Amino acid sequence: MNDLAAAVAAPLASVDGRTKIKVRDVHFYYNGFHALKGVSMDIPEKQVTAIIGPSGCGKSTLLRIFNRIYAIYPKLEAKGSIELDGENILDPGYSMNRLRSKVGMVFQKPVPFPMTIFENVAYGIRHHEKLSKSDMESRVEQALRSSALWDEVKDKLKQNALGLSGGQQQRLCIARAIALKPEVLLLDEPTSALDPIATSRIEQLVEELKSEFTIVIVTHNMQQAARVSDYTAFMYIGELIEFGNTEKIFTKPDKKQTEDYITGRFG
Amino acid sequence: MSNAGIYLRRRLVNVIALLFGGFATVLGLIFLVWILWVTISNGLSAIHPRLFTKITAYADQGGLANAIVGSLLMDMMALLICAPIGVLAGTYLAEYANRSKLGASIRFLNDILLSAPSIVMGLFVYVIIVLPMSNLTHGNISFSGFAGAVALALIGLPVIVRTTDEMLQLVPGTLREAALSLGVPQWKLTVQVLIRAASSGILTGVLLALARLAGETAPLLFTAFGNNFMTVHPLDKMASLPVAIYQYTNDPSPAMHSIAWAGALLITLFVLALSLLTRLLFSRKKVSYE
Repeated sequence: MNDLAAAVAAPLASVDGRTKIKVRDVHFYYNGFHALKGVSMDIPEKQVTAIIGPSGCGKSTLLRIFNRIYAIYPKLEAKGSIELDGENILDPGYSMNRLRSKVGMVFQKPVPFPMTIFENVAYGIRHHEKLSKSDMESRVEQALRSSALWDEVKDKLKQNALGLSGGQQQRLCIARAIALKPEVLLLDEPTSALDPIATSRIEQLVEELKSEFTIVIVTHNMQQAARVSDYTAFMYIGELIEFGNTEKIFTKPDKKQTEDYITGRFG
Repeated sequence: MSNAGIYLRRRLVNVIALLFGGFATVLGLIFLVWILWVTISNGLSAIHPRLFTKITAYADQGGLANAIVGSLLMDMMALLICAPIGVLAGTYLAEYANRSKLGASIRFLNDILLSAPSIVMGLFVYVIIVLPMSNLTHGNISFSGFAGAVALALIGLPVIVRTTDEMLQLVPGTLREAALSLGVPQWKLTVQVLIRAASSGILTGVLLALARLAGETAPLLFTAFGNNFMTVHPLDKMASLPVAIYQYTNDPSPAMHSIAWAGALLITLFVLALSLLTRLLFSRKKVSYE
């Protein structure tokens, strides 16, 4: 009896500090296919939460619900509730504009817009705010500084962003996302297309950014999850198997499945 | 079979395939070079300043000035009609109706339009523009450069719709997601990001359409009709290079034939220049998404 209660409560392991995103019993369907089966977890504010698991476990799917980017495709459906600061973002009345200004996202492959470096960062800001030329310039500079790109691009802001290296492009995408001053930053395997040096720069950046943003990172790379995150969620075939302090997940996980995955016995 | 046997067989098959492929390529190229050679050798010997200064009314003592002006005017008018409609329709297909049944039906119809015989376009425009105009004005206006341009636009339209649609679909989906995740609405994303990302491809489609419609004769026969005098009025009967070539080759006089060859060379050079321009546009864009 006690075991059962512990098992049910386990995924909702308590986190220190304030909860930013409260995920409750989230189900997700791809054209009828049940991809997420009742996921619940508390994502703490201004911490890095990593979601790990083998391919197809639903980790990217979960991430893509947090800013409802899945909604641009037909026949996808999310059920349950995801509360951002107490408000359910799955509620159809929750403004998409507001959600996306609060929750920024960076994707697997760096995709700068076909514009200058400056315009790439200014583009999103312009949609949400009217700024004077000088305010815009300082805002763009600030975003590029926070994403550790400023020194490399400050003399070529007017050049096409597609001329940057892959790693620089990805940092530009991070700058573009944080320029909107979001509260949450979603990173969907942000380094899987990058070389080891560019990867370590991004990881360093994640470390610095968590003082300002709540970060959720999906990664294939377990070492990366161990390096950058404070909390780790392990998912398997659409279910959240275990969620908790990263150190605990990687050293003495409660579940056998987690341990098998961490130690490389499957996945 | 031993490994050596397998390798030998593969090498043999490879040689045979290579021979067939090479033969087909050479066969195709022979005719292409032959056509170009005949056009250039006959056309060059007939090139004369008179072609650009005199009109067709002087027959074998004349030139093609009115046909050149007429062709340029009608091609430009046609492009002004079909480029905006084509780009917008292609954008609708790629961005708004991509997975819908409606989109699939429109694509199918567009493909039919793409391969429709061009004389059908001429007859269609004759019925919907030339005849009503003639009835309304009691025969004062019938065949016109405008009607010719509409017929040519119908030739160019499906080309532009198709290339715009395809070029936009080549833009990676993550670019759409990235813009939408910034909260940017779909229309802004389409106009400011996607069309810009596909711009050189879309422009290539427009130039290809121009190259395609510049060489058309059939749609002009019952619409612009032809004119032996210079006119720039869009409601007059208008001369054009392809129709002038058609009329001159029907004439028994060898002098007229050589003017027709010169006209053929001019069109060929125009289309060649357009192709080179599209190549230049594509190669100039050094950076792109994989």
